[in-house]
Amino acid sequence: MTLTIEVLFPEIANLHGDLANIDYLAQCRPDARIVRTGLTDTPAFVAGKVDLVYLGAMTEQGQLKAVRRLLPHRERIEELIGAGTSFLFTHNALEVLGTRISNKDMDYDEAGVGIFDLESTVRMFGRYNGKVLGGVPEAGAHPVLGYKSQFSMVSGGVNLPGFLVAERGIGRNTSTAVEGVRVNNFIGTSLIGPLLVVNPHLTRGLLARLDPDTEPVLAHEDLAIAAYDARLADFRDGRRWHPFERVQ
Amino acid sequence: MRVLLTIWVAKLAGLAIRVLGRAGTHTPGLIARKLHPGIIGALRHPSRVIAVTGTNGKTTVSNLLTDALEAQGLTVASNRNGSNIAAGVASLLIGAVSWTGKPRVDVAVVEMDERSARLILPGLAPEVLVCMNLTRDSIKRNAHPDYIAWILSSALSESTSLVLNADDLIASSLGTDNNPRVYFAVDRLPSDSDRPSGAAVDVGICPVCDHTLDWDYWRFNHIGRVRCPNCGFRSPEAAYRAHSVDAERSRVTLELDGESREARLINANIVNVYNEIAVAAVLDRIGLQRDAIVEVFDHIQPPTTRSAVEEINGVKLVRLLTKGLVGVACSRSFEHVASFLGRKAIVLTVDEVSERVTDVENTAWIYDADYEYLADDSISQIVVGGVRRHDHALRLAIAGVDPARIVTIESETGAADRLDLMGVDDVFNLHSVHNAVSTGTVVQERLRARLGEIS
Repeated sequence: MTLTIEVLFPEIANLHGDLANIDYLAQCRPDARIVRTGLTDTPAFVAGKVDLVYLGAMTEQGQLKAVRRLLPHRERIEELIGAGTSFLFTHNALEVLGTRISNKDMDYDEAGVGIFDLESTVRMFGRYNGKVLGGVPEAGAHPVLGYKSQFSMVSGGVNLPGFLVAERGIGRNTSTAVEGVRVNNFIGTSLIGPLLVVNPHLTRGLLARLDPDTEPVLAHEDLAIAAYDARLADFRDGRRWHPFERVQ
Repeated sequence: MRVLLTIWVAKLAGLAIRVLGRAGTHTPGLIARKLHPGIIGALRHPSRVIAVTGTNGKTTVSNLLTDALEAQGLTVASNRNGSNIAAGVASLLIGAVSWTGKPRVDVAVVEMDERSARLILPGLAPEVLVCMNLTRDSIKRNAHPDYIAWILSSALSESTSLVLNADDLIASSLGTDNNPRVYFAVDRLPSDSDRPSGAAVDVGICPVCDHTLDWDYWRFNHIGRVRCPNCGFRSPEAAYRAHSVDAERSRVTLELDGESREARLINANIVNVYNEIAVAAVLDRIGLQRDAIVEVFDHIQPPTTRSAVEEINGVKLVRLLTKGLVGVACSRSFEHVASFLGRKAIVLTVDEVSERVTDVENTAWIYDADYEYLADDSISQIVVGGVRRHDHALRLAIAGVDPARIVTIESETGAADRLDLMGVDDVFNLHSVHNAVSTGTVVQERLRARLGEIS
């Protein structure tokens, strides 16, 4: 089958190298149709079939713009999530779908799209940089490795499942190991790396889910696995973890 | 009295440090800020204070301005040999006053780290602030250019006159409508294109209506001139423009607020063309005669570039600072490599030194860098050395480099021995800042020796 991957708002959601998630998927599936939806365009998922909807890292003002552009499509997004459509929202994109984004430093407290019970608190002088390691079903025995580099911490409802539970590192905030959001095939995570480049086993699992009839092929597999193995060995080394990377 | 005590303690500390043979450019300010956190604002400042900031070019512009003003017979205090964060600026200002706290220089030229603006600008309240550009820097520290622009704007006094780069829509948006402002720009160049490319383009949509912008010209990152096809928004008009850049004759035409003057081109690198027109704009705004402004460029030189070229047995050996953790800086280096026309081989060692053992470097930044410049048949081999070598190898492959041309080796310095020099015209030693000596110099010496052995 031909995969359709929709990248939302790449002109503003292009920070921290995260668009490489899509570049890599496109190299793994050269036959995939990549739809790049601009901020003033109507998203392809509104009227057509999309196999994966992606939104990546953006500025704080970009988050507010994304909220405004996605708000009219809230019901459709909920419908798609309920029907099992795959979504991948990385870095601060997940917060766009939450209930509130509060940023005292920049003097705003705005409602999000409101799909998930999540509140984001942005501290412009409290940037958090750290690592996260944790297992996910898509990657089997190979834990996900990722980085956080963010101004925001997220509080989620107790019944909202995470993308992963951090074996090392923090989750949505410094007092929980539950990281991101997973609802059906919606994955939202603050992790950057880029996630799919740094985690080839996760990418293989995602590709298998997107197209169960096609054996997943990883672009530059040997190099990707070598990079993953080297990083995993480093992540397993306790000397490389700082006290602030622990759940408090 | 507290201010005077702070001045004395800081000056004495500076004297003591200098007696010990150290430069003492940072510690006096550090001590002063401990004793009096508001010391930058509490000190009496020289009658003219010019602050220079931005991601790239601030050191060069500060130095050029200092040289130009000194050439006019003015006494100038600058932090050219010190730090550009709050402690360094405090040191500069303490050095610029007497033991009784009276200003003893005519002008202070303050190079300011853009992220430190909130600690510096409220007290400094410069007469003029120059912002060269705001492009992506460290993900960890600087996040994104809009963040830095917000820090600067939040800390700016409305009395400060702004000299801003019109070709940078983020830098040109600094301040409020109350800030007096002028803009500088470099007119379209033959090398410019009509649409942006690359990973790090931070201006894509109209700030008024969100529509995708069109470009009159695009240069790099988000630098260029834009217009909105939907609402008519445009980049600001620049009263100060450089054009007719003639590298061969070392001449450039400077438009100085309605008056056209030909001047010596201090350096053909586009960054230095921006630096030159920015310096001209500042000097014009503070009232220097235009003849004198043009004459300034006959006598001042930008600092040496961050690259060095030597020729050994007919092969160019190019050492190039390629700042790790900063994708856009690496893009400029890779672009420079691509500009060489011969057959090329590259040693690439840009791991972050501080994260080799006690952390695991976040290599997301390499996807903000345009490794695609290296996906060219003229590059026969790229040897990547260091802890994160596999990440760079994967990035190169994703960029389109044939994996058969990529070699990985754990030892950074050992990379020099793995490079195949046969039939190569240009050899590149690309290293970062913190490994410049431990790796860059060692690799350079090894490559030099190997090229010397070629018969």
